[in-house]
Amino acid sequence: MDDLERQLDLECHLKDALTRKQAPDWFEAKVLAAAARETSAPAGFWQRLMAGARLRWASAVLASAAVLASGLAWQHERAVRERTEGEAAKAQLQLALKVTRVKLRKIGQKLDQMERN
Amino acid sequence: MRIACWLLIALLPAVAQELKLPPGLDKLADKATETVDVTMDQSLLQLASKFLSDKDPDEARAKKLVAGLKGVYVRSFQFEHPGEYDQSDLTMLRAQLKPPVWQRIVGVRSKKDGENAEVFLASDGNSVTGLAVICADPKELTIVHIIGQIKPEDLRDLGGNFGIPKFEIGGSHKSDSKEE
Amino acid sequence: MLAAAMAVESEPGAKTNASTFTDVLRANQSMVFSIAYHFLRDRAAAEEVAQEVFLQLYRNFDGIRREQVTFWLRKVASNRCIDYVRKRKVHAAVPLDDVPEPSVSGQPDDLLLNRKLQALVASLPETPRLVMVLRYQEDLMPDEIARVLEMPVRTVKSHLQRSLAMLREKIGRSMGEIR
Repeated sequence: MDDLERQLDLECHLKDALTRKQAPDWFEAKVLAAAARETSAPAGFWQRLMAGARLRWASAVLASAAVLASGLAWQHERAVRERTEGEAAKAQLQLALKVTRVKLRKIGQKLDQMERN
Repeated sequence: MRIACWLLIALLPAVAQELKLPPGLDKLADKATETVDVTMDQSLLQLASKFLSDKDPDEARAKKLVAGLKGVYVRSFQFEHPGEYDQSDLTMLRAQLKPPVWQRIVGVRSKKDGENAEVFLASDGNSVTGLAVICADPKELTIVHIIGQIKPEDLRDLGGNFGIPKFEIGGSHKSDSKEE
Repeated sequence: MLAAAMAVESEPGAKTNASTFTDVLRANQSMVFSIAYHFLRDRAAAEEVAQEVFLQLYRNFDGIRREQVTFWLRKVASNRCIDYVRKRKVHAAVPLDDVPEPSVSGQPDDLLLNRKLQALVASLPETPRLVMVLRYQEDLMPDEIARVLEMPVRTVKSHLQRSLAMLREKIGRSMGEIR
């Protein structure tokens, strides 16, 4: 076998040896759970509102608007927070169920194997 | 590395009770190279359920399962070397999974690779109220603990049949223990 | 935010087209995990590195074009692998000539040969190791590897040639001629 053939053979073996491995069973669920935990609440609505506030006149109107806005802002923040926490909880649940399924499936396979033997 | 998973599903007839996890378990995370730690009470489960889609088959199934649950707890540890966890912790755990509430329905033990797995079911006489699975391998320990009503079809969906023989809710049954 | 990142609707000109983060994760998790695994030869470490790569992707998802995701993942995975090793000093750089031969001798056998090759590749210094993984796991050509690792093509080719020569010599000595 000449050098080129040997080279090609080695490269073939290397491709075989370095073939992609399957990621662990619940890798995807773990990443999603970690990503969900990273998601943080946005900057406060009040901070954004006050940073833009320049009006000095009609303080009563402003006050009324502020009361109304704070109620809406609170609702908005709550909704965003709930969504964030909900997605995180969903990811955690999916991770837990995945772990459960994998383990129970392995037990089943082990039982089947033993019965066959 | 294998992940040690303790799958405990505890369900009490009248009031759902969490299994008391041995104190040694908390310290395992420091020794483990990898840990999965999920703690979800009923309110968190309900919150998660709101975000499960009815259109996705997997999520719809999960939503159906979660509807009757009161708690889901998972502790899973992977270790670099064998012998990192204490068998006495498992003994303490198993002591809580005894009749009349709990029945061990599957026990698989492999001397060859040191893997052990047990499945326990709890019932109130009418339905399955808890599921506990302990998977204890040399470099892996997994505990899953689920509290709540689990319908037979949800149980099948969760883990398939896995050879649970003739399990009768509320009746006597023969535990299917196998060893190789 | 997670829902938004995970369910981006397809819009004209959208950077990520119709792919969601979950789709990308699902499609590429084995690739990223394998790069880390073949580099580090440690499943737990590979999982840790792979998770960090995807979390970094998640943080930057909106700014990456869909057609660039694979390149981005390979690049970040490569960098993370190197960082991991350097931070932990897991694998000191070993001159190629000093890499030990496989300790088990015997008749050539596919499985045994694969393991030996994996071990030999993992014992290479960091950069040649990465070059070999990208070449033979990902089937990238030298110019593509050069772009991923940000090095000259001739450097990539040099790493490949030296690594192959070393592997052939060491495998040949311990297991007989590679057929």
